[in-house]
Amino acid sequence: MTHYDFEVTGSKVARCHIKVDMVNDNFLELIGEIIGPPDTAYDGGKFKLEINIPDTYPFNPPKVKFVTKIWHPNISSVTGAICLDILKDQWAAAMTLRTVLLSLQALLAAAEPDDPQDAVVAKQYKENRKTFTQTARHWTNVYANGPHRECELEKILEQAKNMGFDEHKARVALSSSDWNLERATESLLTS
Amino acid sequence: MKMAVIDPAENEVNKNIWIAVGTWRWVANDDNCGICRMAFDGCCPECKLPGDDCPLVWGECSHCFHIHCIVKWLNSQQVHQLCPMCRQDWKFKE
Repeated sequence: MTHYDFEVTGSKVARCHIKVDMVNDNFLELIGEIIGPPDTAYDGGKFKLEINIPDTYPFNPPKVKFVTKIWHPNISSVTGAICLDILKDQWAAAMTLRTVLLSLQALLAAAEPDDPQDAVVAKQYKENRKTFTQTARHWTNVYANGPHRECELEKILEQAKNMGFDEHKARVALSSSDWNLERATESLLTS
Repeated sequence: MKMAVIDPAENEVNKNIWIAVGTWRWVANDDNCGICRMAFDGCCPECKLPGDDCPLVWGECSHCFHIHCIVKWLNSQQVHQLCPMCRQDWKFKE
């Protein structure tokens, strides 16, 4: 395979808080990291990304998904799959891993709820923005090591845990039912 | 005090051989190809030697690429053929 320059030299771009590292000794499997942008629910979180470079790069986009769990309308809360045009039909050969990571950072700052990857999250984003922001901040705190705790939500989660439910499953159920304990319990028991 | 007298005729150097050294550069508005990221003074990743066998081409939008890179990109686009830099319709500049 032909070796293209990925522009990862000096992989840490401190100013933008993005970085790329190799998984093994090849350039085809990479781990990316972006820091959640300030003044968003993702502020200060460290989000890991799995990046796979196809043989046809840069004529086809890299395959990117979130490894760190995240609550965002355009990212699956289950698989981490991303819905972003430049990773699909809007890719251009002049883009680089740097521009991809910066675009993902921008996606965290500006969601597109009308083109969702996760319908449940998108619905909450559109209909109940305050709950959405709290939930996203809570997930950032728990999974991405973000600095902001959501004590109100933690209390509700604690109640579900005391009922014997697995923490992560309880968090997903509560997040998906706008933190209504009764509805979350129901969905946990029927699933 | 003696004065050294140099006879110009005796010190004449005969220049029988001379070696010319030349360099060339592509005159582009950038240093690197936006597709393969290699220097324009080098060649695309498919080629071994820079020069006329791996030439540069310009689009009407003024962006410049190795011809092998832009042709590969255009061939990979099924619907619209856009410049990978500015997304304008790609037209080769005459």
